[in-house]
Amino acid sequence: MATGFLTDTTVCIGCKACEVACKQWNQLPADGYELTGDSYDNTKQLSGTTWRHVAFIENPKKRRLTGDVDLVALAEGVTEPLPGGAELDALGRWAFMSDVCKHCVEAPCQQACPTGAIIRNEFDNVYIQPDVCNGCGYCVPACPYGVITQVPHDGRAFKCTLCYDRQKDGLEPACAKACPTDSIMFGEVEDLKVIAAERVQELHDKGYSRAYVYGTPEVGGTGGIGGNHSKFILMDEPETYNLPRHPFLPQEKVKGGTIASMVAGAVLGAVVALAFRDQGR
Amino acid sequence: MSERTRDQAQQSNGSVETSHHPATDPERKDKGYYGIPPIKHAHWTWQIPVYFWIGGIGAGVHLFSTIAQILGHKDEDLIRASRYTVLGTMILSPVLLIWDLGRPERFYNMLRVLKLRSPMSTQSWSVFAFGTLSGLISARQAADDGLLGDDNLLVRLVKLVPARFLSILSLPVGLNVGSNTGNLISATSVPLWARNWLFMGPTFLASGLSTALSWLSLVLHLTHSGEKKTMHTLHRAEKATILIEAGLIAASLIRMSKWSKPLFSREVAPLFVGGTLIGGILAPFALLFGKESRPKSILASVLALAGGLAFRFAIIKGGRISADDPEAYFTFASGDSAPQPEDKV
Repeated sequence: MATGFLTDTTVCIGCKACEVACKQWNQLPADGYELTGDSYDNTKQLSGTTWRHVAFIENPKKRRLTGDVDLVALAEGVTEPLPGGAELDALGRWAFMSDVCKHCVEAPCQQACPTGAIIRNEFDNVYIQPDVCNGCGYCVPACPYGVITQVPHDGRAFKCTLCYDRQKDGLEPACAKACPTDSIMFGEVEDLKVIAAERVQELHDKGYSRAYVYGTPEVGGTGGIGGNHSKFILMDEPETYNLPRHPFLPQEKVKGGTIASMVAGAVLGAVVALAFRDQGR
Repeated sequence: MSERTRDQAQQSNGSVETSHHPATDPERKDKGYYGIPPIKHAHWTWQIPVYFWIGGIGAGVHLFSTIAQILGHKDEDLIRASRYTVLGTMILSPVLLIWDLGRPERFYNMLRVLKLRSPMSTQSWSVFAFGTLSGLISARQAADDGLLGDDNLLVRLVKLVPARFLSILSLPVGLNVGSNTGNLISATSVPLWARNWLFMGPTFLASGLSTALSWLSLVLHLTHSGEKKTMHTLHRAEKATILIEAGLIAASLIRMSKWSKPLFSREVAPLFVGGTLIGGILAPFALLFGKESRPKSILASVLALAGGLAFRFAIIKGGRISADDPEAYFTFASGDSAPQPEDKV
């Protein structure tokens, strides 16, 4: 059985309850009080001490209200040509997205980890064993989504555990529990896939043709990663949410690089041997 | 409503942009989330590039001296300098690597598992094995040199160590220490490193050999030891290796294409263009040409050694800039440039 998240960004209201619940349950330290000046989002990104992060995306593309706009009709989800020639870019006016570890099917961090600290646990989640990690930091640049970081002062690397302790007790993760709109859903990956497909179809039927699932083997879980156990329903290009479109499994080329190095070793050895020519006599 | 917004509204028949934040200006072409890097850079500090340099020297020195032994080249000074150098590098390397860990007291967890897909794991095992073997080989050398005292039990025991056999046995492991550092950084999501997976290992190995030959020639010159034919061989090998290194760096730059930009940034260009290309390759190569002389050779060695160190720092610093650049990562992870499982090369 594999468990995971489905984060439906179309119903996220940006309350950041998931961030707070995650910090509380996992007893994560504060990241300091810093105002970015970019938006109302002042926690910026995922890190070793922020395992859920809600992005506030202000995207004014085509966001133009023209003429006599019926705001009530807009709020009710009218997508046909609006009265008075008004234009509105669907749900894009202000997007929220609660980001989290993608729990890749073939996880680059897990493959990179030299100590075996990063494992797949019995729920098929990618889990860092804190008692084994020695803080080499190699998982950090390996992650194609910028999820893991090393926590200064502690030295070890941390990320979302998918609330391993809560799952052991039959509870859903803290973020999913706290989410007031069910933007964050927790469950078995196979069930979530069905829910995601239905929701995207529903959005398409309503006229939101840009809705899609991120974290499939086609988008966001590509290049040998084989999909993500944390999927997202997005309404804009992945890059808008700071996500790569076609990430890749960096370890795919370790074998190729090693073979190239062996060839180079043989050539350099031959060159050195040639340099000894005529010297033996 | 500000003066400007009102003017705009009048000009455009009442339509107003609902957002005016510069970061969300529709005219802006860059993608992403307020320029926050979508991947995280490695936290590695100076110990890592210095280790890459020292490990490369150890690997290269071992390659040269082992081939010398295989070919029956008998220069005791060369063999002695080589064995003690390799021991020195293999003592310093783990110190630097453990120093850089977040939890140094847990370094032994590196030897908990062996993962062939993780260059960090194979690297740890290689340093461990190469270090142990070079310790044994150097012990034999020390016994032969009389450093362990005259005829005592330890000396008699150590003299049983088959040094030449162990040198040949440790050659593949030693070469892996030299090349695997390149494979280690290219098995990441950092565009500058990942794009160059094919040439990174070979380039690091060639650069390691070039610094190693320079080190040997420097040591032999400074200690006024080593046979004349050894020096001649070293010079020949140095010239050839510098050429190969230059070729591999050129191939790497072509392969990295637009993602090599950080190497030419204001921060890294002095290290890469000045330190590596001019100081570490062009200048020593020019010096090694023409008539051989001691001062010229010493200067060439120092330059090549410094160039090798500059190269490691340039690659690590360039990788940091590359990882911090959302545009670089998004362009890399959207097209066909990123390595894919089905790619052959």
